Amino acid sequence: MIDTATLSVIAGMALTTYLSRILGYLLLRGRKLTPRLHAVLDTVPGCVLIAVIAPAWVSPHPADLLALGLTLLAAMRWSLLPTVLIGILSAGALRHVLPG
Amino acid sequence: MQPDPGFHPAETSAASEWWRGARASLPVMLGFVPFALVLGAQVTEKGLHPVVAPLMTGLNFGGGSEFVALRLWHSPPHVALIVAMSFLVNCRHILMGAVLAPCLADQPRRRVLPALFFMCDESWAMALADARARSGARLSLPYYLGVSACLYLTWVSFTGLGAWLGPVLGDAGRYGFDMAFIAVFLVLLKGMWRGARTSLPWLVSLLAAASVYLWQPDAAWHVPAGAVCGLACAAWQGART
Repeated sequence: MIDTATLSVIAGMALTTYLSRILGYLLLRGRKLTPRLHAVLDTVPGCVLIAVIAPAWVSPHPADLLALGLTLLAAMRWSLLPTVLIGILSAGALRHVLPG
Repeated sequence: MQPDPGFHPAETSAASEWWRGARASLPVMLGFVPFALVLGAQVTEKGLHPVVAPLMTGLNFGGGSEFVALRLWHSPPHVALIVAMSFLVNCRHILMGAVLAPCLADQPRRRVLPALFFMCDESWAMALADARARSGARLSLPYYLGVSACLYLTWVSFTGLGAWLGPVLGDAGRYGFDMAFIAVFLVLLKGMWRGARTSLPWLVSLLAAASVYLWQPDAAWHVPAGAVCGLACAAWQGART
């Protein structure tokens, strides 16, 4: 049904992903953070999130860039649910109007 | 008012905290659904058995690494390559766990280690934002677990559904549902905004990640690249102040 290679990938991912989740906690538990390290750890999460969505900012499709701009404006003004709806509707409509 | 003798404040507040987390996770669950369906559909598209989808997402529970794994999937899969890329995508968890550590200082390790299995970008950001909004340095573990349970069940069941429905769904991107993911991240970023001090590292991360993505669009190198450049910038800022 499922071959050994597929199971190996699943097991390897499960193991390394869990390791990534506990490493930071285990290594930094009970240690006093310097203000500088604290400032870094405070800023970096946003860096990671923005890196994850970076491909959307360099999309070759004008419709996607316009939709991203509208979603960004929505995110600055409103909470999650309206932002998600504006994102989906603007991307769907703009891709229909500006194909390619 | 005197509390009655049968009343256990800790227990009651844990349950209400759990439900508060579950309610707060609703909009994020909505954002998860289209992604889970697309991820599941990709599993059957690669010729894999549909049960691979809930098996992988249930044991791994990291959307970014799962999308990358399926993008790199050939038959037979290159095990070491996929596992290494998956770890690179997830190396951000190390930083996230380090940020959480001081907020979990009052919790025993035997409770924290299982709970950390469910740490994803969204549950982490929501629990951390919640702890800060309540002006406490302590994380509400029941709130975090309420968020986590809802997000985990949504992710695993809808990736399974996507695999089962398979090619019937077609290209979800055409309808704009993929923008839900971006919208969730933009709103999470707004919650992490710390004034002008954060803007430079974020910009550096965005530029680095976008450049690497334009250069290597198929690998997921842009995520660690952006994170490392942003970190370097933040450390440089910290050294100057």
